Amino acid sequence: MWQETKRIFMQSSADVLHAIARILPSVFAMLLFVVVAAVLAVLVRWAIRRTCDRLGLDRRLLEWGVVARGAPERGPPSRLVAQASFWAVLLAGAFLGLSVVQIPAAASLSLQLIEYLPRALLALVILAAGVAAARFVERSVLIGAVNMGLESARFIALSARWLVVLLAAAVALEHAGVGTLVVIVAFGTVFGGIVLALALAVGLGARDTVARLLERRFRAGSAAGKGERTEPERGRVHHA
Amino acid sequence: MQGGAGPPRGVRSGPMLAQPSSANAPAPAAGGEILVVAEAGPPPAAPFAAALQARLAAGLCGRAVKVLVVTAQPELALVDPADPRAGVAASSSLQGGAGRGGVVGALLREADSRGAAAAALVRGPERDEDVDWLRLLVSPILDEGFELVCPAYRRGRFDGMLGTAILYPLTRALYGARLRQPAGGEAGLSLAFARHLLEHPDWHRDPGGAGSDAWVVAKALSERRRVCQAWLGRWPGEGVPEDASHALARLVGPVFREMERAAERWQRLDGSTPVPAFGAPGPPAEDRALPDVAALAAPLRLGLRELDAVWGLVLPPASRLALQRAAAAPPEELRLDDALWARVVYDFAVAHSTRALERGQLLRSMTPLYLGWVAGFVNDVRALDAAATEARVEALCAAFEREKRYLIGRWRWPDTFNP
Repeated sequence: MWQETKRIFMQSSADVLHAIARILPSVFAMLLFVVVAAVLAVLVRWAIRRTCDRLGLDRRLLEWGVVARGAPERGPPSRLVAQASFWAVLLAGAFLGLSVVQIPAAASLSLQLIEYLPRALLALVILAAGVAAARFVERSVLIGAVNMGLESARFIALSARWLVVLLAAAVALEHAGVGTLVVIVAFGTVFGGIVLALALAVGLGARDTVARLLERRFRAGSAAGKGERTEPERGRVHHA
Repeated sequence: MQGGAGPPRGVRSGPMLAQPSSANAPAPAAGGEILVVAEAGPPPAAPFAAALQARLAAGLCGRAVKVLVVTAQPELALVDPADPRAGVAASSSLQGGAGRGGVVGALLREADSRGAAAAALVRGPERDEDVDWLRLLVSPILDEGFELVCPAYRRGRFDGMLGTAILYPLTRALYGARLRQPAGGEAGLSLAFARHLLEHPDWHRDPGGAGSDAWVVAKALSERRRVCQAWLGRWPGEGVPEDASHALARLVGPVFREMERAAERWQRLDGSTPVPAFGAPGPPAEDRALPDVAALAAPLRLGLRELDAVWGLVLPPASRLALQRAAAAPPEELRLDDALWARVVYDFAVAHSTRALERGQLLRSMTPLYLGWVAGFVNDVRALDAAATEARVEALCAAFEREKRYLIGRWRWPDTFNP
């Protein structure tokens, strides 16, 4: 019995050792992939930080109102971008490494992830750009609405901001391939609803104001086109 | 609030403030013709130029006169009104793009290539024919050796309010020259000054800003050129009335931009001196109607309510508080203190320089404040005559000059106020 136990043990040990010996090169290959990816990720992070510095990204984002002043706890945006790039490259390397391990399930999963990663990254970039643009648009609309004397300037600016965010989110989700049809239908419904609501609000609530603005604009434009000089409205100030 | 740490910006060591010195006096221009470039607006522009040419056929100040017209079709160029098809000026490849800078660039190039003794940029046909306006624009150059002649017009008290509120007091406080209407849109230039401007690196560094009125005036004043102003009679009118926010971005933006370039110069100047003037100012034009102060005051209140987050990046809390107190008064009693207004303008200039906000947004966000100031000005001068109104403007300019130390402090250490 002892002999039999010994034989089985030796056989199992030999099998395990053989299996390890079979997998070990691919594990080393995977580790090599991860190490190379880590080096590449460090290089990419450095390059992105330098590029951002040269472009003055942090200053520009502050200037455009994309990033709030006095909120340095998360670090400057360029550092976030660089860190995100670092982890993206590292993840890609890890997935590539996983694909060389001779485990069919892991290899298949990693190949799918590698295929999906660029789309997911691009969707993230689209979303980030949309959010950034939305903040700039919000401020521009707010200032413009105040200058037009619209009492609900902040509401209009917020609406403009969320419309841009919604648009960016829909495009990003569509690009990422997440619930494509549902997203398009939902976006169309929400966007159309908002535009309809705004049109009704303007049409019913600010009809006279809009009429006055359009009249003034078209009258000025037509006079400019003909090279005419227009008499100022009574009580208006000549600024220039 | 942070302390004033860090090195001062845009200043070298040396005496901080000095009286503006008198300019060098070059000899009057000798030889050469007079070049007149007419910006006569959209077609048909030729009749004005042809009439101008016919009127000047006998010459001006004993010299031949060449009139060219600015045309935008098919591209921005100077054409001879006598032969518009063949007359595209050789120097039509314009510096400064297709805007105002392009026109000034073309004028400078043409004056240089012709060796013109004096060059004048004039606008539209609606002129005050009681005044010999073209002679007034060029004779100071030809006879007195001035290098830049700025126009000044007889206007109503509420015309050109942006000039009264910001451009005149700011230019005067910065460069120490009492140039009453620094953005007149017309100009007379000597050949030497035209050539100097033409060779300026700003045409390559900042093509959008080079060639503007503010650019020409800032260059002349900061480089101690001989500058004078000529009273050209009744103001020809604005043409299409311009929206306040557009006017602010168009006229105040270039002045702020020039402040950055000439920072070393204006930080050393204190006070102001009168600028030689030619022609008679004459009585001011009659006011059309008193502006509606309620309509002017409303945007200030709305701005204080809605734009606090934006103004918080530009204005210190004390200024915002003072603005809120001023805006709480009924429209007919609204007044912005001169010192407060000067500080507000200076704060916006600093924010423009430090790019606290995108520059277009920054300038447009100034509109409600400017309109609020106009409301206060209307309240102040509604019962005054022209002389007393001008005295009121003098008081405003004095406040800008007094508050210049505030500007210098903020300019050198912009982080002193950290929103």
